[in-house]
Amino acid sequence: MKENWPKIVGFLLLLAAVLAVPHFLQFHHQDLLIFLVINVLVVTSYRLVTLTGEWSLIHAVMMGVGGYTATLLFRGFELGMWFTLPLAGLVAAAIAALLCFPLFRMTQFYFLIGSFAAGEAIRLCWIEFIIPFGGTGGLSGVEPPFVFDIDFLEPIPYYYLTLAIVGLCLLILYRIENSRIGLTLHSVHWKAPLAESVGVDTWRYRALAFIVGSFFVGVAGGLKVHYLGTINPNQFGIGFMVFILIWVIVGGYNRFYGPILGVVVLTLFDESIRQFEEFRPAIYGAVLILSILFLPKGLESIPARLRSWAGGGSDREKGKLTDG
Amino acid sequence: MELFFLSIINGLIQGGFFALFAVGLVLIFGVMGVVNFAHGELVMVGAYTIWLVHAQHGVAYIPTLILAILVVTGVGLLMERFLFRPTRNDPLAGLICSIGVLFILQVIATLVGGEGPSKQVPPPFHGTLVLFEFLRIPYQRLFGLGISVLALATLWYFLTRTRLGWALRAVALDREAAALQGINITRISVIAIGVGAALAGLAGGLMAPLTNINPHMGHNVIITAFIVTIVGGVGSLSGAVYAAVLYALFHTFVTVYFGGTVATICGLILMVVVLIVRPTGIMGVRVSE
Amino acid sequence: MSFSRRDLLRASVASVVAAGSGTFSGNLLAANKTVKIGMNIPMTGDYAPWGLPGLYGCQIVADDINAAGGVSIGGDKYNIEMVAYDHGYDTEKAVQGYKKLVLQDKVKMVMMLGGSTVASILPWAQRRKMLTTTLLPSDITEKSEYLIATCESHPLYNVTGVDYLAENFPEAKTAAIVTNNDAEYGLQSAATYKAAFEANGIEVVDVNLHGFDITDFAPIVSSVLAKKPDIFCMATSFYVTPLMEQLYHQGFKGKIISCTLDFYDEIIAKTSQEFVDGTIFQFPDFDDPKLNEDIVNFPNPGDFDAKYRAAHPNDWSAVSWEYPAILLNWIEGAKAAGSVEPTDVLNALKSNSRPEFIFGGGHWWGKELWGLDNAVVGFWPVVVVEGGKARIKEFRSVSGWLKRNKDLLIKHMKELGLRTV
Repeated sequence: MKENWPKIVGFLLLLAAVLAVPHFLQFHHQDLLIFLVINVLVVTSYRLVTLTGEWSLIHAVMMGVGGYTATLLFRGFELGMWFTLPLAGLVAAAIAALLCFPLFRMTQFYFLIGSFAAGEAIRLCWIEFIIPFGGTGGLSGVEPPFVFDIDFLEPIPYYYLTLAIVGLCLLILYRIENSRIGLTLHSVHWKAPLAESVGVDTWRYRALAFIVGSFFVGVAGGLKVHYLGTINPNQFGIGFMVFILIWVIVGGYNRFYGPILGVVVLTLFDESIRQFEEFRPAIYGAVLILSILFLPKGLESIPARLRSWAGGGSDREKGKLTDG
Repeated sequence: MELFFLSIINGLIQGGFFALFAVGLVLIFGVMGVVNFAHGELVMVGAYTIWLVHAQHGVAYIPTLILAILVVTGVGLLMERFLFRPTRNDPLAGLICSIGVLFILQVIATLVGGEGPSKQVPPPFHGTLVLFEFLRIPYQRLFGLGISVLALATLWYFLTRTRLGWALRAVALDREAAALQGINITRISVIAIGVGAALAGLAGGLMAPLTNINPHMGHNVIITAFIVTIVGGVGSLSGAVYAAVLYALFHTFVTVYFGGTVATICGLILMVVVLIVRPTGIMGVRVSE
Repeated sequence: MSFSRRDLLRASVASVVAAGSGTFSGNLLAANKTVKIGMNIPMTGDYAPWGLPGLYGCQIVADDINAAGGVSIGGDKYNIEMVAYDHGYDTEKAVQGYKKLVLQDKVKMVMMLGGSTVASILPWAQRRKMLTTTLLPSDITEKSEYLIATCESHPLYNVTGVDYLAENFPEAKTAAIVTNNDAEYGLQSAATYKAAFEANGIEVVDVNLHGFDITDFAPIVSSVLAKKPDIFCMATSFYVTPLMEQLYHQGFKGKIISCTLDFYDEIIAKTSQEFVDGTIFQFPDFDDPKLNEDIVNFPNPGDFDAKYRAAHPNDWSAVSWEYPAILLNWIEGAKAAGSVEPTDVLNALKSNSRPEFIFGGGHWWGKELWGLDNAVVGFWPVVVVEGGKARIKEFRSVSGWLKRNKDLLIKHMKELGLRTV
C-alpha cells in the first residue's frame, strides 16, 4: 500500500483543484470550463472506440444524436434531464449498433470513409427534415433542471453537476478498459489474427467498443444541449470531429489520460490565442501537423522521452498511428 | 421530355467537373496510399485564384486559369515534400496531416478574400448557345465541359501511351513490386500529386464563374469526390470517370425531381451500400491495402 | 462585397474612440453618462451581409449623436456606445455572445438578426429581463415579452410587392416560388408569398425548396421553369445571384419578384441590365428621392447614405439602415420613459399605440399570428430596378393587407408547418 501514497495525495490535490477552480474564474471562463469537462468525456469515449485500432469519423455525429434525442424528449415529452441523459446515451448506442452491420464489414481506410459517409448522411437528415429536427437553424428551448432552489442555468451549479456525471462516466470507462474486455480490445488492435485464432470474435469486440463509446458521447451531447439550450447540425460537423482527433492525437492515445491531457492543454492554449480568432483553425492545423511529424505519440510520451534522453537511451520508438 | 434532355446536359457538364477532381484524388490515393482530405481545398484555391487575379485585378481568364493550375500544383508539391513523404509508411498520419492543411488553406482563403458572403466571378464567356428554345447551354458551361474532356483525354494518353504513365500505373497496382523493378517511387509520387493537384486546380478554375466561391466550398467537393471514388472503385481511374458521370446524372435528376439535400443523402447512402456490397467499386479492380 | 478583419477592427476601434472622445468632451461640458447598446449579429460567414453593415450604420448614427453632445434621457445626458459580438449565425456562439453582453458589458438593449440565433437566447432574455430586438417578427412567441421587432416586418412586407405586381401586370397569372428550405427565412417568406398570390388570384404552380449545399442551380431552375410560370418568385433566398444567373441563361421572359436583391450590381455584371430591369423587391437604396417624403421616419436619409458610402463604399445591404432605425426607436422609447432601463423602455414603447415606424403608419401587431403584439407594422416600399438602379415605386400598407387577408396568411403558414398560435 505504501507506494500508492503519492498517487492518492496527487488525486486528492487534483480533485480539490477541480472543485475550487470555477470560483476563481470570470463568467465567460466558467462557461468554457463546463464545455471542457464535457469534451473530456467526448475524447475519453473516443479513445475506447480507437482501442481496437479503428479511427471512426462519426463520433461527433453520435454526440449530436445524443443531443438531438435529449432536445426532442425535453421539448416533446417534457422529460427532465435525469431521464433525457441516459436516453440520449441509449439512442446513440442503438444507432451505433445498427451502423455496426455495414461499418464493421470494413477496416482501415474503408471504415474511415464509411463512418464519415454514414455520419454525414445522419447530419444531412437533421438539415433536410425540418420537422422534427428544425433544419439548419436547429432547435432551442432546452433547459437544465431546477431542483431544491438550485438554478442549474447558472454556470457554477451546472459545472458541479457536469463534473459529477462526467466523473462517473470516466470511472466506468476506466473500469471497462482495465477489465477482461478492455484487454481483449487491445489484443484485437495489435494482434487481430492471433486474437481470432484463440477464438475471439473480433467483429463483436469492435462493435462493442463502438457501441459503448457512442453511448457515452451521446450522454455528453445531452449534457451540452441542456446547458446551452440550443442545438444545430453545424455543431457536429467534420470541424468538431477534427477537433476530437486533434485532442486525442496531440494528447496521445496509448494511455487513458492521454486524450484528457490533450483536450485540457489545447483548450488552455486555445484561450491564450483568442485574440487571433481568425487564425485559430490554421494554428490548430499547424499544431496537428507538427505533432504528427514530431510527436507522434502525443504529449503523454514526453516524460518517457525526457527520461530516455537523460539516460542516453537508444530505445526511442518511432511512433506510428497504424500498424501494418 | 424537355426537362429530361436539359437535365442530361446539365448532368454531363457536372460530371466533367466531378471527374476532374475525383480522378486526382484516386491518383494520389492509388500511388501514395494517402487519402487527401484537403483535395476539396485544392479546388477552392483554384477558384480563389480566378476570383483574385481575374475578377479583382482584371487579368484575362485563360492566363489566370493556367496560373490557377500552377498555384494548386505548387501547393500539392509542397504537401508531398513536407507532409506525405515523411509520413510515407503511415497512411493515417498522411490523412491527418492533410486535414491540418485543409484548415490552413481555409484560413488563408479567408485572409485573402475577407469575410462576408460568397464571392462571385462574372462569366468570361457571356451568352448562351440556343440549340432549341428549350435547350440552352451557356457558353461558360460548354467551355468547362470541353476543357474537362480534353484534360481527361490527355491524362488517359499519358497513362496508357507513355513510359512514365506505365510506371505510374505500376506503382498504383503494387508499390513494392514496382520498386523492385527499379521504378523510383518518390519521383512517381511527385508526379502523381502534381497531376492530381493540377486537375483539382483546373476544376476550381473552371467552376469559379459558375458557383459560389467561399472558404468552405471544398466540403461539398470532398464529399462528392469520396462518393465518386468509392462507387467507381478506390484504385480505378477509369472507374472514377464513369462513376463521376453516373453520379452527376443521378444527382442532377434527384435534384430536379426530389431536391438537392435529398440527392446528397441518397449519394452517401449509395456509397455506403457500395462499400458493403462491393467494396472494390463498380469497376472492381483489386485494391492494394 | 468583402469584409476584412481590418474593417472589423476599424469598426471596434471607431467605437472605442467614439466612447473616449465622448467622455473627453463630457469632462469639458457636463459629465455625460454612457449607455451601452449591444449587437449580437453575424459579422462573418454567409449571413455577414445581414449583420456587419448594420453595425456600420449604427456607428454612424451613434457618432452623430455623440458629436452633437449626446441624447438627454430623464434629465441626464447620455453618449451611446455600441458593443458588438459576432456569432457567425451559430446558435452556440449566439448564446455565449448574448450572455457576455448582458452579464459582462451590461448593455441596455441587444439587437439581433433573428431566427434560430434569437430562439436560442430567448430564455436568457426573459430571465434577465433584457430588451432584445429582432428583424424577424416570426421569432415572437406567447412568452417572449422582451423581444420586439420595431423595424423590419419580415416576411409580411412581401405582400406589397405582390399587390403591386398584380395591379400593374394583370396578364401574369401563374407563379413559382423558390427558396432555401429553412423555417426562419425561406418557409416564412414562401407562406406569405403563397397567401399574397392567392389573394390576387394568381395560381402557384410550384414551390421548390432546396437545401444549403447546392453548388449548381441549373437543375433547380430548369425543373421550375418546366412548369411554365409567368412569375418567378424568390422568397428570402440566400441564392438570388446564382438563381438570377440561371434564369438569364435559361431564357426566362416573365416577371421576377424577390424579397431582397442585395448587390444587384453584381447580378447585372453576371447577366445584363435589360434582364435585371423590372425586377420587383422590397429594399430601397437610401439615396432614393422618395425617402424624403413625409411618411418616412428617418432623419436625413440622403446624408446618412452619403456618410455610409464614403466610409464603406461596397458594404451597403438591407440592414445598413434597419439596425440604425431600431436604435432610433430605442432612443424615442428611452426619452418617453425617462430611463434607459430595459423594462422601462419596453413599457414606454409598448404603451404608445401609434409607435414611430420607419415608413409610417405603424402600430403593434402579431398576437393573432404569433401570440404577442410585439411587432410594429405599417407601410413598406415596393422597389423596382429601373435603368440598373433600385427605385421606390410606392409605399403600401402592410397593416391594411393583414386586416383583409390575415386568415389566408395563417392558413398558408400552417400548411408549410410553421408555428402559429
